[in-house]
Amino acid sequence: MSRTIRRFRRKPNGWVLARKITQAAALLVFLGGLILSRNSTSQELLIKDLVRVSPLAMLAELLSSKTFLAGSTLGLAVLLSSFFVGRAWCGWLCPLGTLLDVFHFSRGMKGKPLPEGLRKIKYGLLVLILTAALLGNLTFLFFDPVTIFIRSMTLAVLPALDKVVYFLETALVKVPFLTDPVLAFDAWLRPQVFPVESAVYQYAVLFGGLLLILLLLNFVAERFWCRYLCPLGALLGLGARLSLFQRRVNDHCTQCGLCASDCPTGTIDAEKEFGSDPAECTMCMRCLESCHQKAVTFTGKWQIAPRQEYDPGRRLFLGTAGLAVVMTVLFGVDWKGRQPRPRLLRPPGVEKNNAFLSTCVRCGLCMQVCPTQALQADLAESGLEGPGTPVLVPRIGYCSFSCNACGQTCPVGAIPPLSLKEKRLSKIGRAVIDHDRCLAWGQHENCLVCEEMCPLPQKAITLEKSGFSRTDLPGEELLLPVVNSDRCIGCGICENKCPVSGEAAIRVESIWS
Amino acid sequence: MKPITRREFVKIAGTSLTAVAAQQLLSACGIKPTATELPTETKQPQATESLTEASATEAATEESAQNSTSTPAQTAYLAAVRGEKIEEMVRQGLKALGGMERFMKPGADVIIKPNICVAYNTYEYASTTNPWVVGALVKLCIESGAKRVRVMDFPFGGTPDQAYRNSGIQEQVEAAGGSMEIMSGLKYVKKAIDGAVSLKQVEVYQDVLTTDLLINVPIAKNHSMARLTLGLKNLMGTILDREAIHPSFEKNLSDLATLVKPQLTVIDGIRTLMANGPTGGSLDDVKLQNTLIFSPDIVAADSYATRLFGKTADYLPYLGAAEKRGLGKADLSGLKIEEINV
Repeated sequence: MSRTIRRFRRKPNGWVLARKITQAAALLVFLGGLILSRNSTSQELLIKDLVRVSPLAMLAELLSSKTFLAGSTLGLAVLLSSFFVGRAWCGWLCPLGTLLDVFHFSRGMKGKPLPEGLRKIKYGLLVLILTAALLGNLTFLFFDPVTIFIRSMTLAVLPALDKVVYFLETALVKVPFLTDPVLAFDAWLRPQVFPVESAVYQYAVLFGGLLLILLLLNFVAERFWCRYLCPLGALLGLGARLSLFQRRVNDHCTQCGLCASDCPTGTIDAEKEFGSDPAECTMCMRCLESCHQKAVTFTGKWQIAPRQEYDPGRRLFLGTAGLAVVMTVLFGVDWKGRQPRPRLLRPPGVEKNNAFLSTCVRCGLCMQVCPTQALQADLAESGLEGPGTPVLVPRIGYCSFSCNACGQTCPVGAIPPLSLKEKRLSKIGRAVIDHDRCLAWGQHENCLVCEEMCPLPQKAITLEKSGFSRTDLPGEELLLPVVNSDRCIGCGICENKCPVSGEAAIRVESIWS
Repeated sequence: MKPITRREFVKIAGTSLTAVAAQQLLSACGIKPTATELPTETKQPQATESLTEASATEAATEESAQNSTSTPAQTAYLAAVRGEKIEEMVRQGLKALGGMERFMKPGADVIIKPNICVAYNTYEYASTTNPWVVGALVKLCIESGAKRVRVMDFPFGGTPDQAYRNSGIQEQVEAAGGSMEIMSGLKYVKKAIDGAVSLKQVEVYQDVLTTDLLINVPIAKNHSMARLTLGLKNLMGTILDREAIHPSFEKNLSDLATLVKPQLTVIDGIRTLMANGPTGGSLDDVKLQNTLIFSPDIVAADSYATRLFGKTADYLPYLGAAEKRGLGKADLSGLKIEEINV
């Protein structure tokens, strides 16, 4: 419908208000949960449940690991909700959906509507994810909206916000009369909201970029992601076809077309008497505001939605399932993927890389709670199956001897929930000294930082007498650091603090066989 | 060609400015916060200042030796207190030095710098300063009318808030009426060290330079590089980029001590970590010595503390270096040392 019709203002509606409040609250719970989770005192919060509400992630996890986790019940509840209220999750709760609503620019910018057939893509993605999951591959969970939200908040948005705040603070603290308030604000902010030392993440631009692309696609069509791409939306859409509550149009309709031009998912079709597809409708209720004739109702009646041209068919199903099989097989035969990777370190307690790839849902919570940013999102260190999985990068952050947050937080147990005592004994890798780069070994300087940092009660790095004297203090005997591989747990604080610039002279290598 | 309209111009200019600003901002990303220049606060003149400065900076020189003898005759240069009641030990030790009043006057702003190097262990493991020693010092400062007593350190292992809690220090400090401060990236200032031999410039926490009274409360521990970590080594907690200080360690440590000058050093030798320091983690390495050492002279305090390990000042090359730089006395002979049993 053309814009010229837009002469009526939308009338406020209680349902829309309730929806907006719910959305804001849900977004706040997600964001607040993420922020608070970094504070080690509040780890017992419901942070795991932020991921467990995603039925897609939990279903894929179930198919892949073949074990039902008690926590999955939450995701199951959301899945079952689709039989009653359709895709209300998308319109009322999904944090990514809410972000897309906030950053929505397309009103009044409508060009030619995109072909309806694009809506198929999301079903394709859904089948791809679930089939691959059945074969033990969770790579495509990268596209679960909940994981996209958590990952991009953790790796890009919150650190960027931190950086902006810090930038402003450093500027304002120089203004004499603002110095004290700024310092007081900073003291409140860290470590409550942001870490004391700003977080840094590798590939933050790429992971944040994905969110940016999804937001920019809003320019093309409102909620582009939800309409065409979202595999979780597709999953809920399947149940929504039979949903109890659906949008229905009665005979008060004057065919004015206002509802169609307001609908964020563009599912209201003038050619079908302004009816809509419950598999596309997010129950946002905006059409209640548009309609001045009380022609739109959301009433409870079990009814099977009429078929749409873009509904997934046998061909789509077989095609994408086949594609998933081919992809999984290709991942399996990839030479690069089968090579030993000496620098691939996983979170503490993870023992088998392949099993880890089949259980990790790529949500990124472990990276959010890791206080030292030791856990980083992988791009391809663990092969092409691994984007978004956590890897431990000691040069960026070490695994703190007083922390076991990752295992306690992992919503699917991919990182085992070790007690602190167990974690302190669990081997992540082992440190290896590069004698040529080492200041002590290579240049006979007095540097024992690695030994000093080693947190083990019985140091895994010991000092050996060299028989030489120190170059900086002749007469004093030089000591040389030596790693005891049996004791070393590979926490990486030695690599992290090694004063050699660039690559450290002591590095943690993996112990994968 | 169509002439450019004002609106377009503003748009383009705005966009490019934003882009430039964003680029500036992004280029700042990826680096951990570094020190920034703060307006330097002018310190409030204090009546006790001359006294405390004299005792801290010139303690080693002959003049100050006279100076300290010019204070009441019973005032000790160094006090070593042994016993089991920590608060009483702290009171007796300070009394021997002339009381807390010698170091501060009512209304003073006090910073106490314990050693909270890691968040790994509780105090029993002797990797962090004994919480009750810190608590008693806070209490004494407040009794003497301190306006504010802040306690801080920047751990190298684990986060500060975690370390403050796990060490037990937070609990004792707060119970005594002090507060824990997390050392903010905003408060580090770049300082050139005049007359430095090796460490010409350092990023140091501004407040430890400007506070009325800085009390250095290290725990005596084994340390591979320093051999023992005591008062001088504890000053490293006030600067950034500590790893870089390790090469030419002895010279750097003396250079730092010419900039950061605690007016009082209290060495915690209640439980000492005899091996596998500075992190510790095994009770087998901990020795109960029930000793506290008090002195305005950081070098003398360190020198005396080597006795806890059965050594003398010669054991620590950096003490000799510090003495030569006039930072204090490593040779304790002829000094008025009071040994007290509580």
